[in-house]
Amino acid sequence: MKFECGDLERALANSDLFPEAREHLKSCAVCRREYRLWSEISSVARELHEEWDTPALWPSIRQAIEAERKPERIWWKQRKTWAAAAALVIAIVVPVGLWRHSVATAPPARTPAATTPTATRQTPTPDFLTEQALREVEKSEAAYRQSIAKLSQLAAPKLSTQSSPEVANEKERLALLDSAIAETRASVASNRFNIRLQTALADLYRQKQETLRDVLSHDAKN
Amino acid sequence: MVWEIGLPLPFAASLPEHPTETELAEACRRGQVRAFEHLYRVHSARMKSLAFHLLGSRADAEDTVQEAFLKVCRAARGFEGNSSLSTWIYRILINCCYDAIRKKQRLAENAAPAEFRAESNVTLKVALERALKALNERQRMVFLLFEVEGLRHSEIAAILEVPEGTSRSWLFEAKCQLKRMLTEAPK
Repeated sequence: MKFECGDLERALANSDLFPEAREHLKSCAVCRREYRLWSEISSVARELHEEWDTPALWPSIRQAIEAERKPERIWWKQRKTWAAAAALVIAIVVPVGLWRHSVATAPPARTPAATTPTATRQTPTPDFLTEQALREVEKSEAAYRQSIAKLSQLAAPKLSTQSSPEVANEKERLALLDSAIAETRASVASNRFNIRLQTALADLYRQKQETLRDVLSHDAKN
Repeated sequence: MVWEIGLPLPFAASLPEHPTETELAEACRRGQVRAFEHLYRVHSARMKSLAFHLLGSRADAEDTVQEAFLKVCRAARGFEGNSSLSTWIYRILINCCYDAIRKKQRLAENAAPAEFRAESNVTLKVALERALKALNERQRMVFLLFEVEGLRHSEIAAILEVPEGTSRSWLFEAKCQLKRMLTEAPK
């Protein structure tokens, strides 16, 4: 095969020039110049590698890494985590308690025997809880009280240090709720099986819990 | 208690002075800062140089290298080891550079496109630097990685996720293009 100038580019695609190309370069100045430039591009390219000192770069990267990791480290100290956990406990315990209570107090299916006057007398009236339902309601109340205690603890610093109108409102609302809770609890103590009192108490607890969560969420926004 | 990124120091396994790829990958997965520092020591010079050629300024290059390292740290837990750590890091760096380029382009939409004019009074190095800007993205990338930063075609192929033959072919195209631009008479 006769090597011509037009073949040079194809020949350069191989790292080693084949013998015909080498022979051609000996006799062709134009191709020789092209070949020299081809080789020079690679050698000059090495000089393009840019190096400069950046003593502050790694410390800055490290600082950024640590700043990103910090929230992960103290997740268990965050108020949001506790507030979410408390809300989750309540979201699970209360509906389960109420459901069990409704199952326990539901009127029995009508059977011929149930229509007799004796059977009618034995069915609990819908205004009063059974022993088992009462236990469930008291368990829910304990969970409420526990989560409220935790939320109160988290909200206390803000309530005691800030005096914005928003905080003042929330403090007032909490005071009202506390007094209503105390009153209702006193009534419940003398009438534990009363559904209406227990429901009113649960509702007050829910309101207090929501108010405390509002306090914390304002805190998070600020 | 002293903490080492999520773990109290006694539980954070120490990194050997010359860790193997597996040890390094594992330490990165655990989020050990020393592992990232090791990667920085080994790769940052090349990373800065590559970013400099792609972005055109040292300040931008440093910012992009920092961004790349943060992304490496964030994603290290999920690093599966399907490629080598260095390949993975360069891939992240290149993506960060492209993001930075896009951002710069948005900021300077009216800027004139890169154009090369061979000049007789400039050295080959300067001319080559200018000619490089006129190459297309893939040609410039392969040329920078192979000729300037000295990576092997197998490494470049892994970084760019193309076959090795494609990397060779893009380099050849790049050099042909550069040669043409460098021998072109100034207009």
